[in-house]
Amino acid sequence: MPDPLSRLGSDVARRLSHLGALARFGFGAARAATSLTHAGRAVAFRVAVNQIRFTAVHAIGLVMLLSGILSFLVISQAVRQLGRLGVTDLIGTLMVVAIVRELGPLLTALVVAGRSGTAIAAELATNTVLGEIRALEAMGIDSRQYLVLPRFAAAVTSLFVLIVACDTVAIGTGYIAAAMNGMSGSRYFEIVLQSLGATDVWLTAGKAAAFGAILGIVPSYYGLAVRRAPTEIPIAASRATVACIVGVFMCSALFVVLR
Amino acid sequence: MTGRPSVAHPTPLVLEGVPFEGTPVTLEVRAHQTVALLGDEDAGVGRLGGWALGLESPPAGRVLVFGESALDLPPQERLAFRRRVGYLPAGDGLLHNLTLRDNVALPLRFGSTAAPRAIDGRVGVMLAAVRVAHVADLRPAQVNEEERRRAALARAIAFDPALLLLEQPFDGLTPRTASELLEFVRGGETSEGGRRTVVITAQDIPAVIHRRVERVYRVTRAGTLVAEPAG
Repeated sequence: MPDPLSRLGSDVARRLSHLGALARFGFGAARAATSLTHAGRAVAFRVAVNQIRFTAVHAIGLVMLLSGILSFLVISQAVRQLGRLGVTDLIGTLMVVAIVRELGPLLTALVVAGRSGTAIAAELATNTVLGEIRALEAMGIDSRQYLVLPRFAAAVTSLFVLIVACDTVAIGTGYIAAAMNGMSGSRYFEIVLQSLGATDVWLTAGKAAAFGAILGIVPSYYGLAVRRAPTEIPIAASRATVACIVGVFMCSALFVVLR
Repeated sequence: MTGRPSVAHPTPLVLEGVPFEGTPVTLEVRAHQTVALLGDEDAGVGRLGGWALGLESPPAGRVLVFGESALDLPPQERLAFRRRVGYLPAGDGLLHNLTLRDNVALPLRFGSTAAPRAIDGRVGVMLAAVRVAHVADLRPAQVNEEERRRAALARAIAFDPALLLLEQPFDGLTPRTASELLEFVRGGETSEGGRRTVVITAQDIPAVIHRRVERVYRVTRAGTLVAEPAG
């Protein structure tokens, strides 16, 4: 029986190798874009638009609702507590640092992981089990061009749109919360706008790209990794969702460390 | 848009020491012939398409298509190689979220440099030829088995391949339909070349098809390949 240290070592090695396979898969998908034909690009574009409809358009209501509630709760509490200490100006910093920079993108990514990540993994796993992926490959079609690339592009685009919507609603709801707790609207906007900077725009774009890459590639990887058994479909969907959530949190932490 | 190879290698399909039922088999399918390879489900004949296209490795030996083994090719060349071979997987292999028209067009859209309009035109002609034009804009689940099979056959010959591999192509079809579809996929003698080489793998084939193929081989339970009278 291997000792705990060996077990830990082999577990770490297995996870790193898994990460390597995921990275190879992602780079392979990106490289596949270079050999797309004109007609193939049109098909991939249609698939991407369809995915954006599901990932962004259908989810925007949920993201706005959750973002509004989150912002309302945070700002209501903040106005009360910071008001007692006489430092209500910190609300702007709190709104920008906590919600716009961190919680907004994270909340958006979690919604997308729960809705679209699961759906993408389940869909591709079903395609695999039904033999459709094999048929694609037999016809000389690179399944990454048809299935992965459009979902990757759609996830990045959707994340950007949803994060912007999330932040806008958060700031708007923060205004309501501040007003309900005795702060004037003009004062609220003044301190929020003072705290917002160009960095936040770049950060939003950066997080949309990074989270989008995770949410487009990871579910595709798990979905296409199944073999032939239908029982593998829910397992793939579940693993993909968990991996997406862990990946998004780790990536978020990495942004803080690198900033 | 044609996938017909330069006829540098005369033998479309060669099996070298590939085991069916554990016994290595060597077989050569000559150009323009229609050959049926029959065997029980566990005999392994149903895996020939996958071996020929490099989708999986045979347990031993090798399968050569026009003198090349797909498994020896780098990934991008392997994809191009597969476009030279028409393949109908068991069932139909149609994508269920696409219409029949889009299913037939898909390989052409990703695998040819033709303009989208030219592809659409060709697909329309092919769908009419297999007589599914009236249901072309429906999805596979909305049409019957025969129409699905017709569309899948149109897709298999999308690149006008010189070699066609058909897995259980006639299951569930009437003998008349089976016969009509075989004639369609074989193509006719033209100034540009002879009929397609067609390899059918199945557990059995209807008598009417038996009469129309040039060679019939059956894998026995002992693993030997026995030629049956045909034509």
